[in-house]
Amino acid sequence: MKWIRLRELAWFKIKTIVNYANYAQTQEITMTTIVDIAVNNEGFSTLVTAVSAASLVEALQSPGPFTVFAPNDAAFAKLPPGTITTLVQNIPQLARILTYHVVAGKYKKEDLIGVKSLISLEGSQIDLDISEEGFEANNATVIAADIEADNGVIHVIDTVMLMRPHWFYPIMESGKVGV
Amino acid sequence: MTATLVPPTTQLPPSNHPYADVIHRLEAGGSMLPDTPENLMQIIGLYKAYAVPMDFYWRDLLYIAEQVFLEPLPAFKYFLPQEYLDLRNHYAGDDADWRFWRGEATAHPELLEFMSKGELNTKIPKLFHHLYHDRINMEFAEECMRAMFWHRNMGGELEPYMDSEEYRQNADRAIRAYFKNNPIMLGLYKLFPELFLEQCRQSTMTSVLGLFWEIMAPVFFEMSDVYDEGGFKGVPDAMNFLVSGIFAIAGRPIYHRVNIRGEWFEIVPKSKGFTWLYEAAFPYVEAVFYRTSPFRGTKSYNAQANEVPKDQNDFHYGILYADKFPVGSAGIPPTLLHQDMYHFLPQYLVDYYKQFCRGEDDTLIQLGVSFQRSMYNVTSAVIQAGRAAFLYPLDDPNPKHLLANRHYFEGQLNRFCNPKYEMDKAARIGMVQDQNYR
Repeated sequence: MKWIRLRELAWFKIKTIVNYANYAQTQEITMTTIVDIAVNNEGFSTLVTAVSAASLVEALQSPGPFTVFAPNDAAFAKLPPGTITTLVQNIPQLARILTYHVVAGKYKKEDLIGVKSLISLEGSQIDLDISEEGFEANNATVIAADIEADNGVIHVIDTVMLMRPHWFYPIMESGKVGV
Repeated sequence: MTATLVPPTTQLPPSNHPYADVIHRLEAGGSMLPDTPENLMQIIGLYKAYAVPMDFYWRDLLYIAEQVFLEPLPAFKYFLPQEYLDLRNHYAGDDADWRFWRGEATAHPELLEFMSKGELNTKIPKLFHHLYHDRINMEFAEECMRAMFWHRNMGGELEPYMDSEEYRQNADRAIRAYFKNNPIMLGLYKLFPELFLEQCRQSTMTSVLGLFWEIMAPVFFEMSDVYDEGGFKGVPDAMNFLVSGIFAIAGRPIYHRVNIRGEWFEIVPKSKGFTWLYEAAFPYVEAVFYRTSPFRGTKSYNAQANEVPKDQNDFHYGILYADKFPVGSAGIPPTLLHQDMYHFLPQYLVDYYKQFCRGEDDTLIQLGVSFQRSMYNVTSAVIQAGRAAFLYPLDDPNPKHLLANRHYFEGQLNRFCNPKYEMDKAARIGMVQDQNYR
């Protein structure tokens, strides 16, 4: 009797583990990542190509979570001729610019109210300005916020952001204060 | 203070800045330099005259960084081997990564001719040209490198990387390989590792400047060709050409590698992701155009009497503040550079200088002032590129954005208005507004 109970218990446990594994596998298959959203929506073909060229697809498919400020095709089109060509020829440099658009953690717009800046995966800060007038990151305007993925959130921006060097801030401050 | 009054073109009220006209000009997409045909002619002529020696500078800087490296007695570092004269510029020629100049990728023909005959116009052995100082003055290039190296901390990730453990290990491998057969130098390295490491950092900065100028030379050549064809209608066109160039090439890798007995050692690998814009261009402009260091010449600086700033951020001895009196130095004012440019002036500038001041007798000063004008234009291009990269378009409909642009422009020009250490009096921005400043 005891043996039967033990066998049942063991069988139950095995079933549970198998079920859990199946469940997890199903979840993995149906998990919609940041990359999936970019691939399956119009207007991100340049970003998808760049992320793929920089071998960042796998990283952005990992559990994260990440907050991605995703420039749309129009944002890339605003860059002067040659900029993208040079970056695509030089993958580490391209990856640096792209990782500047990614922040560790999942931050929806409501989480960022009152937050002045975030530190990107590249290491430099992204300045935020959220007001009734809109949601801006550096000089980019967020044109679609809070697109949720299973491994993070996407904010679509209209301009490719470039890292602001440390000397930029005292220059701006001096301009505000005056001579 | 300025030659012409420039009305504001934005929705904002007029600026109250001491250089309000210049602010309004920048807001209209212009340069700090007034848009006159004379200014356009001077700056383009000087770009061409600068590009030829620059074609030597970048090649020799890379040669020094990659081959001479830590040679304790580098007596022949200015004797550029054929391999580096034939080195293909990545931004000229048919196989360019991005073709700025339609000319050839190898050393410029005017440079080769000068190297063979010199100012003496005689073919004698290279050593005699060198000893007679009848050559390209690499001392200027090295002075620029030292300015960048000494100031450091001007943005970019290279600065902290040069202090990292990874850099130390890369440098250590290269230093040990370089002195493999030299027990005395290896012994000295064991005794004074920091000294060798610092020399290695200097070599890295030499490579950075070489890679920076590798791009500027073909850009300036192309600008000269476009001007000769009548392609630029004014100073803003010339500035915008530079702005486009800055963006096109912003992502070019900055690296340092050393060739030791045929094997390449990576000291700053390309894989670090360092870029031309952040790790070379911005630091260069800050170190060379604004800061550099006090120079010997027409004025003595007494550091104990606080005539030299304690804070390196306040250094203001760059070309934008320079008294163009020729003092014969490699530092600012770079008489040695002026001497180099003198050999490659386009004829229209030679004829122009003959009409003013003491004609041919003070061409060196007149071209120095033209060079100052041309560098105010390059600085304007960098300021406009920074505005485009970090802020907003000039025709942005949002007044908040336009105000941010104005703060940025005014903040930049405030650097020329600071009474500390009489920076405001030293700055030449007011003088270049006047065509009679020669």
